[in-house]
Amino acid sequence: MAGGSSEDNPVPINVVPMVDVIFCLCVFFMCSFKFKQLEGAFDSWLPKNKGTNCCPVPEPAEIRIAMFWEPEQQHVRRQFGQRVVEDDAELAQLMKSAHDDWVLKNKPDVPVIIDGDPRIPWRSVIGVVNISKALAIDNIEFALGATEKM
Amino acid sequence: MSKHKKPEVEESISPNLIPMIDIMFLLLLFFMLGADMSQRELAGELVLPEAAQVPENKNIKVEGVEYTTINVHHETPDGSPCPVNANGGICREESHWQWSIRGKNYNKDTLKEQLQVEAEMNMETVPDPVAKKLLSARNVLIRADSAAPYGDIQKVIEYCGLVGIYKIEVAAARPAAAAKP
Repeated sequence: MAGGSSEDNPVPINVVPMVDVIFCLCVFFMCSFKFKQLEGAFDSWLPKNKGTNCCPVPEPAEIRIAMFWEPEQQHVRRQFGQRVVEDDAELAQLMKSAHDDWVLKNKPDVPVIIDGDPRIPWRSVIGVVNISKALAIDNIEFALGATEKM
Repeated sequence: MSKHKKPEVEESISPNLIPMIDIMFLLLLFFMLGADMSQRELAGELVLPEAAQVPENKNIKVEGVEYTTINVHHETPDGSPCPVNANGGICREESHWQWSIRGKNYNKDTLKEQLQVEAEMNMETVPDPVAKKLLSARNVLIRADSAAPYGDIQKVIEYCGLVGIYKIEVAAARPAAAAKP
């Protein structure tokens, strides 16, 4: 068969180099194998009229989540108003009740404002975005510091 | 006593390689199709934050929708390993976090300039009635590492706002358990 001649096969093909190459390719793909991760994106379009300079709001019609970085513990402390929030379930409950209050006041578009320390890891911000989306709150804003001029 | 001479039997052992080659081809196909070869315009490693609610980004496949992908990833300036990052900690060394577009790293000043260029590639033709000026129709996808400092993403958003880009999206990965087939 491989490399040998046979009477049935007048044109013998040496498949051994091909098998070697396939082995090498297999080893390469097995070593570099990483399953595709399903990726998506949250829309976070900027307001056209305000840019990033946010105007002062007379009445704080907002659901604000403050996030502070504690470098010693490498930990993010989340606050809802003055209350320190321990876990996602508690935060979700607080956000839901605040959102429901605004819906009752006929203001369902009151935004969730994520006011985070620049040092906090991005995943903690995405965590709050994820909770907001799970509660069907689509109006999410990121608080920024003073904007530079071009 | 007569000595019987054993008949010479020529035995050729040639294994049939065809089934093995078939299996190898199947394995090869599986790995080639399953491997994530797309680098998404990134040279280094980047782990996206996970979010179960993230919708699939369909715009990125739509023809005519122009995207600029900004990766915020960890990379030391001299390529040396960062001990904090290597041990699973959260590195807050400012010079270790890079913004990159199409594999090229940018700093605070050059990113702003590059975003200006990207914005001007796809300007809207009519001034926006709300903003009362021409805005950019370009979409920006921010792919930031899960441990990246929020301040770096804030800077990108701020610069986008300054150059008239308002269509911003932030990327996240769906956790394996929440991923739909």
